[in-house]
Amino acid sequence: MNRTFALASRTRKELLRDPLSYIFCLAFPLVMLAIMTIVDRSIPKEAGMTVFHLSQLAPGIAVFGQTFLMLFTSLTVSKDRSGYFLVRLYATPAGSRDFILGYLLPMMEISLMQCGIIYLASWIVSLILGTPLSAGGLLLSLLMLQPSAVLFICIGLLFGTLFSEKSAPGLCSIIISLGSFLGCIWFDADSLGGIMLKICKALPFYYCTKLGRSALQLNFGTSAFWLPLLIVAGCAVVLALLSVIVFRSRMRTDLA
Amino acid sequence: MNHEKEMIRTKDLTKKFGEKTAVDHLDLTIHEGELFSLLGVNGAGKTTTIRMLSCLSRPTSGEALVGGFSCLDQAEKVKEIIGISPQDTAVAERLTVQENLAFMAALYTQDKAVCRERTERMIRLFHLEEVAGSQARTLSGGWKRKLSIAMAMIGEPQVLFLDEPTLGLDVLARRELWNLIGKLKEKRTIILTTHYMEEAEQLSDRIAIMHRGRIRACGTLSEIETLAGVSGLENAFVEIAGKEELL
Repeated sequence: MNRTFALASRTRKELLRDPLSYIFCLAFPLVMLAIMTIVDRSIPKEAGMTVFHLSQLAPGIAVFGQTFLMLFTSLTVSKDRSGYFLVRLYATPAGSRDFILGYLLPMMEISLMQCGIIYLASWIVSLILGTPLSAGGLLLSLLMLQPSAVLFICIGLLFGTLFSEKSAPGLCSIIISLGSFLGCIWFDADSLGGIMLKICKALPFYYCTKLGRSALQLNFGTSAFWLPLLIVAGCAVVLALLSVIVFRSRMRTDLA
Repeated sequence: MNHEKEMIRTKDLTKKFGEKTAVDHLDLTIHEGELFSLLGVNGAGKTTTIRMLSCLSRPTSGEALVGGFSCLDQAEKVKEIIGISPQDTAVAERLTVQENLAFMAALYTQDKAVCRERTERMIRLFHLEEVAGSQARTLSGGWKRKLSIAMAMIGEPQVLFLDEPTLGLDVLARRELWNLIGKLKEKRTIILTTHYMEEAEQLSDRIAIMHRGRIRACGTLSEIETLAGVSGLENAFVEIAGKEELL
């Protein structure tokens, strides 16, 4: 495990020392939280729009932030692969398990920190607005958003392994756009219904947001909590396995 | 150092990429404590040979033994006794010099005290004290090269592969690295690839001239000069590799 921790520590330090990580993974989601809260205050109550209420918005913003972890995972992996850095590491006694966990573990830690900061900011805003969010709900939602963190990080690992330093971030921005739109972060697909809801439900992003929202509201209904949890956890496991298989296979090809 | 003990041995070592043969039935023996230089033009097969010997590429056929371990079947054992400094400096850009060394040390040993001791020793050996706290991305090419070689050395390898270690360096930085490599060779086997004839002349115990995947000449400088019938390594190289190029 020492090698895994050494690799994880290196990934963590490199990410935490990159100012862009803070801009994309923290500052941008927090700015969106502030803007959308202002938007929510500007919408007349008669409109009946609840998607930007803090209890809905905070988990959506947290999922939005996770999509940038995918971007940074893909950047880190593809950058390591593009130069000789990974070649140097391949010549050490470290194995594929060490490499994969060396990317995954620090990203999970950063995901927890990121979500924690977003939820703390949301809680402070909710206190200021006089509509305090449940601390227990926030904590549960923080935990329930970790399977979606694995899902996004594994997509990043997959893209970083399969594509070049130039292509991987481009593909990730497509997922970021798709994930935030079809994840229903910025609109309420359930009230829209129709084909739009069907499309959203066909992808895991919708369930990531729904799970975070239901957990925050301590709503443990089957369709609100348990089904999304099952789907997100299932997708996370499948993507984790797929990224491990692809990384190992690419490592074998590199060493062929 | 026992200069008679075989540290590297290859037999019919061959690497093909599709139709192209990069390394062609290479038979090579390198002894413990030797500094062995592989010379050749671009595409001669030097880097591919180093990649196979450091278990970064599987041979198409033939065998390679490093420290008595097979590169094919005992890659884990081989990786424990080798260090490699690739062509590109390959360092973690946002880690400091000290952190880069400690990071590499942790990949070889579980003991934190040993990691610390090795890191400090490499900083002293490579005179990295003044940049120890600087992030690698801020270093000049010369410092990065020194760090790269120090990272290759931190696992205390019995065999050190240096792939064009002075590529792109100015004269002073190159001379400084030569002095360092000269010191390192007293304690371990070093395989060096280079385009610089002067470098090979200055540092090597033996030299091999590779061309189109094959070794065309191998021996001490004087043996190669005798074989080519000219004096000076550059003339000998042109005589051996250049003639074939014209054929």
